[in-house]
This record gives sequence, C-alpha cells and structure tokens, in this order.
Amino acid sequence: MIRVKDISQKNDRTLSIVWTDNKVQNLDVVKLRLKCPCAGCIDEWTHKPILKPEQIPETVRPVSIESVGSYAMKIAFSDGHSTGIYTYQMLRSLN
Amino acid sequence: MTATTRSTKPDTDTRAPALRGVKNIIAVASGKGGVGKSTTAVNLAFALRQTGAKVGLLDADVYGPSIPKMIKIDTKASVAEGNIIVPPESDGIKLISVGMFNDGDKAAILRGPMAAGLIKQFLTQVAWGDLDYLIIDYPPGTGDIQLTLSQTAPITGAVIVTTPQEVSLLDVRKAISMFKTLKVPVLGVIETMSYFICDGCDKKHYLFNQGGGERLVREFGVPLLAGIPVDPMVSKGGDEGKPHVRDFPDSITAKSYKEAAGAVAQQIAILSSTDDGGLSSFSLTWKN
Repeated sequence: MIRVKDISQKNDRTLSIVWTDNKVQNLDVVKLRLKCPCAGCIDEWTHKPILKPEQIPETVRPVSIESVGSYAMKIAFSDGHSTGIYTYQMLRSLN
Repeated sequence: MTATTRSTKPDTDTRAPALRGVKNIIAVASGKGGVGKSTTAVNLAFALRQTGAKVGLLDADVYGPSIPKMIKIDTKASVAEGNIIVPPESDGIKLISVGMFNDGDKAAILRGPMAAGLIKQFLTQVAWGDLDYLIIDYPPGTGDIQLTLSQTAPITGAVIVTTPQEVSLLDVRKAISMFKTLKVPVLGVIETMSYFICDGCDKKHYLFNQGGGERLVREFGVPLLAGIPVDPMVSKGGDEGKPHVRDFPDSITAKSYKEAAGAVAQQIAILSSTDDGGLSSFSLTWKN
C-alpha cells in the first residue's frame, strides 16, 4: 500500500511528494486545481469536466494541504475551493 | 535580487488530540446487518482487555446502537471542560455510543451529514486517553458514516465479520473493496454462526453452510481470524448486558473470541513490523 513518506513545498507553485516506494513527484499546483476531482468540478455520472480552465487564474495557490484518512489528501485553494479529495491513486497517475 | 527556493515541511501528526494516545484503531465491519458485528466487537474488546491491554469501544451505529444494551454500565457519559465527553467504563473498557444520549426506544432520526458529524465528535471530542486498542463497531453498509470514520481517524486495520452464507459474503465483498479504496488494511475475517455444538453429541453442526469465511480468505488473501460458534449463551449474555467472554471465559465460544483477539493482535504486530515510513497523517501550510 503506497503512502506519503514526505510532502513539502518545493517552490512558489510546486508541491513535492515522496512516496513510500521512493518515487518523487513534483506537481504544479495550478494544474492540481484544474484537476480537482470534486463533484462540482467533474460530473459524477458522466465524468465530464464542469470546471472551465479559463475560470482558474494562474495565480491560484494552495492555502493548506491535509491528509484524509490513509488514502487521500484535501487541498484548500486560494480561490476558496476546498472540496476536492485527491486520492493517492489519482495523484500518482498525474505527470 | 535573487529568487530563493523555500522548502516548507509538513506537520506530521495532525491527529485530533483525543486520539493521540490511541495506539491502534480497529474497525469491526461487515456489509450486512445482523451478522453479529456488535456481539463480536464487544467480546473482542473484552478478550483484548483480558490480555491486559487498555481498550476503548466506540459504537458507530447511530441508527441502531446496541452496545449500551450488550454491556451494562452504571455510570453515564459526562461532559468535562472544553466540551470533552468523558466515556463511562465497564471493567476498565471505555465505552461510547449514541444510545447513551438517547432514550432507549427513541429513534435517532438524522440525515447523513448530521450522523456523520456525531461520529466525528465521538472520535475527536471524547477523552479516550491512552489506549492500546480502540475498537469501532461500524454500522452495516458502505455509506456516509463509514466514509467519515475512515477519513477522520487513521484506522490501523479492519476486521470483517461475516456469517457463512453466500448472501452475507456478497455485501462483505463490498465492505472489503471499500477498505481497499480507502487504503485501510484488512486484518482478517471473523466468521460468526460458524457451527453449532450439540450438547448431546459434541459434534460440530454447520447450520449455515460451511467455509464461507474460508472462501473470502481465498478470494482476497486475508487471514481467517477465527470461527465463532452459534451459542445461545452468547445472545442471552448480550440481551442481559453481560459479555460472554467476561462471564464465561472458559467456554468454547469465549475461547474462539480469544483466538480472534490473539490473531488481531498478531496481524497488527505484522503490520507495524513492515513500517514503510509512510505518514499516518500530515498537514502542510502553503507559504506565499
């Protein structure tokens, strides 16, 4: 079961995650906001995106990132959006 | 001016203060109702207590709490400073249940978010203190409360309770798949109503089919922790508020519960020995 070993802010817009298999992922936080998996951003049934990329400013940043149980993390963003639960499985599939 | 690269580190213990002294949190769950989940949770708690461990028991079944009936308690839950609930104890086991705050026959009529909020409170605002094991008696199913529990507390592992019939196994598969999705390790399966021992012939009679638990074990690769016989004394004890393992520690049934408790402790030991350095909880504040 792969979990987070370390998580840190690498620079102004990069989140760095070290996983328990020692894979290191550097993720762009603006892209993370665009990929928000919550029901307000992606249609629950059709899985089509509801969120329009032009609605998200390049200046969006996380405010805080918190673990959710043992399977995911919750990111609160500076645009007030905080309902996305990013599962480890989903995060690892991002480039 | 040069740009500086800052690296900010996470806070690596974000557990609620109420849970910081709790070493292991065990979910006792099943897909179906009526398989003996609460009976198992109660007797497992007493069996672990008998080994000298410090044990707490949280009844998370908001709509059908049964722990207050199954364990007779004399003291009531009280509220201490800072809105912290002090749980009553029975034989040194700390107990909390919605049933303690309601009249026995009055239904808790709550929508999902309210029920989930209540459960969150049980995890974060109860003075659990130092515990070796906090056992959570899950409600049946895979809904709001189960999700909240798994999101709020770092669950060490789940014990799946099933009867041997295929109809029970159907929903158990769903519960196992839920825990897999939520990355909660499944410690193993306890099969209840496994067999009946006739007092005339001492033979094991498999009333509800044989080997359901074993089928699950083969299918999911999780251990069978114990098979618990059908025993009228267990349900009688439950109805009278007298846990079987406490009052009849030498019965065949009590021994099977103790076997289950030993297997649970062993599985947890195996889990913690394969520590991969993963954080059980964290939070990170972004610096601008």
